Amino acid sequence: MSRGLVFDLQRYAVHDGPGIRTLVFLKGCPLRCAWCCNPESQKAEPESLRRHGAMETVGREMDAQDVLDEIARDRDFYRNSGGGATFSGGEPFFQPEFLRGLLEGCRSRGIHAAVETCGYASADIILALEPLVDLFFFDLKVLDKEDHLHWTGWDNGLILENFKSLAARCPNKLVPRLTVVPGISDCRQNLSGMAELLRGAGLRDIELLEYHPLGSDKWEALGRESLCRPDAALSGRALTEAARSLSQQGITCCVP
Amino acid sequence: MSPDPSFQMVQSNIEAGFAPREAAAGPSTPRTALLKRRYLEAPLRVDVEYIRLLTAADRLAAGLPVLERRAHDHAYALQRLTPVIHPHDEIAANKTRFIRGAVPYANYAAGPFLKEMRRQEQDAQQRHAEQGQGGGIAGTRAQAEKEGCRVFSGKFLISEPDYDSLRESCEYWEDRCFMSAGEKIWKALLPEADFIEKGWAVGLYTAPHEPCPEGRLILDYETALAKGYRRIMAELDERLRSAPSGGGEFWRAAKRALEGSLAFVEHYAQEAERQAALEPDTGRRAKLQRMARTCRRVPAEPPRDFREAVQSFWFTYILGHLEGSHLGYSPGRLDQTLWPYYQNGGVSYQEAVELFEELFVKMTQIEYLASLSWQGLGHGNLYQNLILGGVDEQGRPADNELSKAILDAQIRMQMTQPTLSVWHDDALSEKFLLKSAECVKTGVGYPAYFNLKTYIRHELKASGLPIETVRKHAAIGGCTEPVLQGMSYGVVQAGFINHGKLLDLALNDGADPVTGERLFEPCQPKSYEDIRASYLAKMRAAVRSWQQYWNLAMRAHRDTVPLVFCSVFVRDCVGRGLCMDDGGALHNGTPTTLSSGLVNVANSLAAIKRLCCQDKACSLEELQAALAADWKGHEALRRRAIAAPKWGNDDDAADSIFLDLFAEYCRWVPGQDNYLGVPYDPSMLAISTPVPFGKVCAAFPDGRRAGEPLADGVTSPFPGTDTQGPTAVARSSGKVDHSLIRGGLLNLKFHPSALRGEKGARNLLAFVKTYFEKPGFQVQFNVVDSRMLRDAQARPEAYRDLVVRVAGFSAYWVEMSQALQDQVIWRTEHGL
Repeated sequence: MSRGLVFDLQRYAVHDGPGIRTLVFLKGCPLRCAWCCNPESQKAEPESLRRHGAMETVGREMDAQDVLDEIARDRDFYRNSGGGATFSGGEPFFQPEFLRGLLEGCRSRGIHAAVETCGYASADIILALEPLVDLFFFDLKVLDKEDHLHWTGWDNGLILENFKSLAARCPNKLVPRLTVVPGISDCRQNLSGMAELLRGAGLRDIELLEYHPLGSDKWEALGRESLCRPDAALSGRALTEAARSLSQQGITCCVP
Repeated sequence: MSPDPSFQMVQSNIEAGFAPREAAAGPSTPRTALLKRRYLEAPLRVDVEYIRLLTAADRLAAGLPVLERRAHDHAYALQRLTPVIHPHDEIAANKTRFIRGAVPYANYAAGPFLKEMRRQEQDAQQRHAEQGQGGGIAGTRAQAEKEGCRVFSGKFLISEPDYDSLRESCEYWEDRCFMSAGEKIWKALLPEADFIEKGWAVGLYTAPHEPCPEGRLILDYETALAKGYRRIMAELDERLRSAPSGGGEFWRAAKRALEGSLAFVEHYAQEAERQAALEPDTGRRAKLQRMARTCRRVPAEPPRDFREAVQSFWFTYILGHLEGSHLGYSPGRLDQTLWPYYQNGGVSYQEAVELFEELFVKMTQIEYLASLSWQGLGHGNLYQNLILGGVDEQGRPADNELSKAILDAQIRMQMTQPTLSVWHDDALSEKFLLKSAECVKTGVGYPAYFNLKTYIRHELKASGLPIETVRKHAAIGGCTEPVLQGMSYGVVQAGFINHGKLLDLALNDGADPVTGERLFEPCQPKSYEDIRASYLAKMRAAVRSWQQYWNLAMRAHRDTVPLVFCSVFVRDCVGRGLCMDDGGALHNGTPTTLSSGLVNVANSLAAIKRLCCQDKACSLEELQAALAADWKGHEALRRRAIAAPKWGNDDDAADSIFLDLFAEYCRWVPGQDNYLGVPYDPSMLAISTPVPFGKVCAAFPDGRRAGEPLADGVTSPFPGTDTQGPTAVARSSGKVDHSLIRGGLLNLKFHPSALRGEKGARNLLAFVKTYFEKPGFQVQFNVVDSRMLRDAQARPEAYRDLVVRVAGFSAYWVEMSQALQDQVIWRTEHGL
């Protein structure tokens, strides 16, 4: 059975997919988003974090089997609510074999499986695993290539290609998401680019997430410095404005 | 008219950045908005009229047998009570003359009132009881200064002449009341009388119960409405004619009680006519005339339409409420009781909602005045439980349009009374269930969900009654204990055993570590097994003594304050010619042996096992030394104790210990019969006990510090120790066989964001359904942002209207004691 690095497991999660879900956070991500709210998820190895004065290790190696046992504990809740498991991160596709084991395990147990991805992974991997995924949450950030490079460490060519091929192959299980980071992803140009991208891909809906500064203590706890400090006081309004702007461009917005 | 206070609260929350609860629209009419505001602004008052009249009557009744004397006294008072119809009321009759009023039942327990008047301590637990300070209570104190009145029992206004009158009544009852009769009996007959008194002193038991012994009583409203009092009286006449000479005491008494009741009703008819004659406004005059006509019709005759049915229900409800010092007296399945009359037409859905809104204000207006310990324990709540949904005799879902109207009324009003409940069954309509979830999401803490299938299993086993009877009559009397509406014995003890104190005694050689009082022979535990065995032995002894004490107390109840009027409406008292106290009810299995705090015992044993046996982190002596020091200087050990397995995380290391102790308790309790000769039923509840019970307990091996509250409810985890989320709590709790006990309670606190929108409502319902498949028995929710609660502590003036769930009841935040507020804040908040 495949093994992988997990940094958190959350039961009764209700904002990432339908029904009552268990959220599995896989550790390790190729991107380095400046506003990341889970910076402890980025490195693909266990690391130390100082919390409440004590050192804690984040990330533990787990068997897919053990993760699946944990997930299966709440299967009755999934059945009655139409829920399941959501694999998030980090970037789940960054541990493809582990993810495959988890997805196959869910499929054989009849558990609905969602994956939240940043889209930065080889197309082969994503398309190979696609049949095992019941729902994709695809986190879009900024569309300008240079900006993307600046804020996340990579340009977005691969991401956009993957997005388009998933949209072509399985539009019904693709849910685009956008975190509205004030001053970064909420500018007019980015939003109209998003609308255009969605329309071009034949999609009409997007989930908007409000930026929240929960991650800022974690950067400190990791002994690292956040690369930007968006003004959290503006995030509520930024979300509303972004929703208005996108709606005007024919996109239906939903805040999960 | 200023906007509804709950609306203002939502607004201010949004500005303060808290997650708002989902807003409700507010009272449906300006009239009901006014009724609510009038309630919120009213001070609490003692109304001495009933007890003054009852005392005068009793002076005349010497020589009558006890049932007739009791009925005579009650009827005498009913015939003379002042009928008060407040402006804007459309439903006639109130329990007292005041907006917020309490009757001081000196005939039940005069002692505590006299002790307050004499500036003596009422009982050993008065020190641990706390009351709230804010809201109407603060208003009372301010008003007292303005009016030159006294403040009585911590929160009630009383004028000087009324104070003197109450003292006179109390002096009359001092040697005659239930409490005094009980003390004469149990102190003489109970070999363990000394143990009971020590138990009170150390907080092993809740305070003497006589100020409020009755509860969980639900009358047979179906018969009361369908027959009408006149037909029932004719039937009583019939029975009396064929009774053997000298027999028929109950029937004679019952008839007297009904005669007094009809006089009480007639006075309301006259008062409505009097006010109508003086009323300049034609609209209001017509309403008063209609009220007079309704009072002339019901409850003497069966109601012809919905409005008459509501009035008929309310008269019977109030008349029964006046007779006794009830705590837990409940309306039961009101959606079923009133449904046939609603179908007759006469009112629209909106009008029905408005009538319920008024009815719920009236229920909340009833206050109770008892010893300070009981006022603290009950926290001023009357535990009037209204349960919706369920099934009919054939097992078909019974929710109807009135079930929704009742939810709509409370979504709008958010009164603390009645507490709403839902008898959950998978076949209930989705529309109704979604409406119930909408009500939960307002944050008022109700409805609580109860699993009907689990209760049916319990009752079939306990009572042997046919399943059709259980389905039809199943209801919740009081906070969380099921009874059979209109057929269960309703004089039910409310005393609790403190499992936490039993643990203290087991860990400390049979002596109380806090007071030094010795309750058991010394036996120093040497091992985990010793502690478990010692705890169980002490639990068994404490249960037996408590049950014997209660049986003698119930006998004293029969000798002094048997319920006559109420018995008329409990099947089959009339048929058998016996009041409830003599075994007239069809179902006498309701007396329970109550306890709380078992979760802390299980967590503590789990910690001992982990620390002393598995990890060898310390010896038992070292652990005891750390507890004696209240963990001071043992912080590292305390961290390990906190990290040990805890109940509520779906972890068998802790859960198996809880299940073992729970099963032992349930096996032991039914080994002794109750006063009526039926085995005692085990039960676990909470009311406000976790706070005073925790206050008297030393530090525990689970990491809890001395004096901190215990875990609330029956299967609720200790705050902060359930780290795996609500599904894990439900899975732990679902391992318990809830069909072994009568009652039970699981508290969960959700952040509002976890239940947002219709999706949130559906997830909540799926959660309940899944928990009930395990099968659980009861679950209730606080939906609130803890940051808002902290703000409400800091700025109570902005939160006059805030309601939260405590245990088997909801309460106005500002009228809760700070200790209880802290406990609600402290509970683990799920779903951020």
